[in-house]
Amino acid sequence: MSREMTKIESKRLGDCYYKIEHESGLTILLAPMKGFSTAYAMFGTAYGSIDTCIKTAENSEFKKLPEGIAHYLEHKLFESEECSAFERYAKTGANANAFTAFDRTAYLFACSENFEENIEILLDFVTHPYFTPETVAKEQGIIGQEIRMYDDSADWRVLFNLLGALYHKNPVKIDIAGTVESIAEITSGLLYDCYNTFYNLHNMVLTVAGNFDIDAVLKAADKVLEPAKDFYLEHGDCGEPDFVVENYVEQHLPVSVPMFNIGFKGKTGTEAENFRGSILDEIFVGALCDDYTKVYRELYDEGLINATFGSEVFCGRDYISILLSGESRDPEKVYNRLKEEFEHLLEHGIPEDVFACAQKTVYGHYMRSYDRVTGVATALFNCHFPGVDMYEMLDIAANATPESVVEHVKAVYSAENSALSVIKP
Amino acid sequence: MIGTLNRKEIGKGAFMNSVTEPKFKHNRMTLCLVTPLEKEKATVNALVPFVLRKGCKSCPDFTTLNKKLAEMYGAILEADVGKHKNKQIIEITLLTADDKYAIGGEKMTETAANLLWDIVFEPNLDENRFFPEIDLELEREYLIDTIESDLNDKRTYAIGKALDLVFENEPFGIKRYGYVEDAKKITSESLANAWRELIKTAEIEIFFAGPGNPEIAEKVFAEKIASLEREPAGNGEPETVAYSPLKEAEEEMDIAQGKLVMVFRMGAPKTEKEKNAARMLSALYGGTAFSKLFMNVREKMSLCYYADSHFERGSGILIVDCGIEFENRQKARDEIIRQLELVAEGDFTEEEFENTKGAIFNSLGSVGDTLYSVESWYMGGIVENSLITPEEDKKAMEKVTREEVMEAAGKAKLAAVFFLKGGEKK
Repeated sequence: MSREMTKIESKRLGDCYYKIEHESGLTILLAPMKGFSTAYAMFGTAYGSIDTCIKTAENSEFKKLPEGIAHYLEHKLFESEECSAFERYAKTGANANAFTAFDRTAYLFACSENFEENIEILLDFVTHPYFTPETVAKEQGIIGQEIRMYDDSADWRVLFNLLGALYHKNPVKIDIAGTVESIAEITSGLLYDCYNTFYNLHNMVLTVAGNFDIDAVLKAADKVLEPAKDFYLEHGDCGEPDFVVENYVEQHLPVSVPMFNIGFKGKTGTEAENFRGSILDEIFVGALCDDYTKVYRELYDEGLINATFGSEVFCGRDYISILLSGESRDPEKVYNRLKEEFEHLLEHGIPEDVFACAQKTVYGHYMRSYDRVTGVATALFNCHFPGVDMYEMLDIAANATPESVVEHVKAVYSAENSALSVIKP
Repeated sequence: MIGTLNRKEIGKGAFMNSVTEPKFKHNRMTLCLVTPLEKEKATVNALVPFVLRKGCKSCPDFTTLNKKLAEMYGAILEADVGKHKNKQIIEITLLTADDKYAIGGEKMTETAANLLWDIVFEPNLDENRFFPEIDLELEREYLIDTIESDLNDKRTYAIGKALDLVFENEPFGIKRYGYVEDAKKITSESLANAWRELIKTAEIEIFFAGPGNPEIAEKVFAEKIASLEREPAGNGEPETVAYSPLKEAEEEMDIAQGKLVMVFRMGAPKTEKEKNAARMLSALYGGTAFSKLFMNVREKMSLCYYADSHFERGSGILIVDCGIEFENRQKARDEIIRQLELVAEGDFTEEEFENTKGAIFNSLGSVGDTLYSVESWYMGGIVENSLITPEEDKKAMEKVTREEVMEAAGKAKLAAVFFLKGGEKK
């Protein structure tokens, strides 16, 4: 098949990767890495738990789907009429897995041997769904136990309780696996509807990093992939307001010390704006409360936070928030102190020395991800859907200034659009 | 492929281990203090890395230290305690960008080696040569929280309870982070004494992996170690138990899913051959996504989302655990036992056997691909006293036969069952 191949290089790192627009409609991103033994491949779609409705060119109205269906589909795609993908991988020795996130689903494998067979299995099983009422029914018990496991996970509950406090309508607040009740509504027909809508090669990406031969990937793609029909999909606007639902939410679970999540809800832009902005947000959060800041030290010395304290920018197609998490005997005090500091930084700016620490830390964090095959394949995957070049993440961090960071954060966040979620023993 | 280990003694009971791996952009340096695991000392020793992480003479204050790390391109400094058989291991790791990725041409490796040394050997002590009271109080509280945090993850909690049943009075049962009641008794003086004893008597293992020049680090460490007063104590081998009568326990908790843990004793392997057969058994039985437990307990019976087995070579136990509906307790237990019996009877195909080997080879093939796994591999070999490469291990695993695996399965005797069930915590 005909194809275009573009080489993308990073002068900073001396690394490169290749972008191929395959005739089937699939974008393929390949990063061979010298000296590594493993190849890591991810094949996935811009479809996740937040896609709770379908509207395609053929339908005039949005059709509502059961919660958790993207994740259910991920489980069932491993099966085929003959043998499951796990059984096929068993013959090659690959370590295979899959995950469903809020706005994407990925199927992956890592291997140090038999790459040609593995890449073919991956492309083949993901593009050949096979669902029957019997196989769908069998999964209810397995996924039911996965849901129960998360019901008991304090880390998971504290996050979803927070998302429920931050978001009114955005489906990001829905549990990725759904509920035991919602998954009971899933049928093989619905799975096919979702598959045919979202698993269009134009809506998908294949990324591979590490030890492999580019031609082997292209050969498998040529062999397995059929050209996909034109793609049209509307996501719809969930009509999420800027303000939060409530500022505080708590739940009791068997834990040793109270756990908390604090969220600052951001105004969403396009997926690319969210993604690029999230790197500036990371620098801001570093300056706000990373372990070299005055606030961190005060909270730590007062015994209000411990080494579990951490931060993350939670961002995707239709959502962006700053999340802070940890354990504390007085989470409200931590929340109030951080809100004050948040406002202080926006008003007075970030001191130069603190900014330098935050910037270097974020830069170093991205640089470390390029040191692992899993890191590179994942970065390629995550950058593809927002349409950002993988090496741009380093440039965004390197080119940030205290002013550009504060200006960005001011436009997206405010201290009052925030919430605290607590799990108490 | 994995780089060759270069190991040499650079002081009394102190070893420099290095692996040059040009493909990486970072260097990883870990300094380990390896000491016998003893119940009375486990807790105070576990607190040592956490107070060391708070600062040192060259960075006398927590915030100054963290700022310095941030300026080193967000270098990562980790301090933790591990255990291996009858050894307790205090580990301090520093991960830094290599010199050639430092924008201003900074000498990252030399700076990192000096900093790592200072953190372990030149801590911030008060006028009595004790650790500062505030560091003691905060980190002691954190240690207690860490000990109790097992409860937060019900799977970890249930496994811990099952192991308590099995190892009641054995050295393997000593907790990695120690005990709450012992933690409460630690003073800044007892902590300083524990640290002094560690740097005097523990074996020092320094590990360097990455593209940088290990000689730079070696020079720094060798010169400094010469100034230490050292009396390394050495470590003996623990005695292991091959059989103990079945113990069962259950606990109620306000939870949605039951956690079933079953521990089988196999006896500590006496030969490499025995060890490899047990590893192979664990993989075939419950270590892959096509294992006996996965294909039957999960896929066929839809009882669970996970059902895994894990072999601990030091103590010779096989741990199986799964998360299930409360009422499926007996059904899952019966099937877990039945599948092990089937393996002992040889009820597995040649294909399953070969595929399991393939999965093991695949993971051995990836050991060289992260600095962490390179370090873990060789450090594991050093403390185990069996230094081989993943390639050599692969050759040894290739030789494992069906009969050896059946024999290993036959040796496994159920020693403990723990069930965490729903209800109010008593």
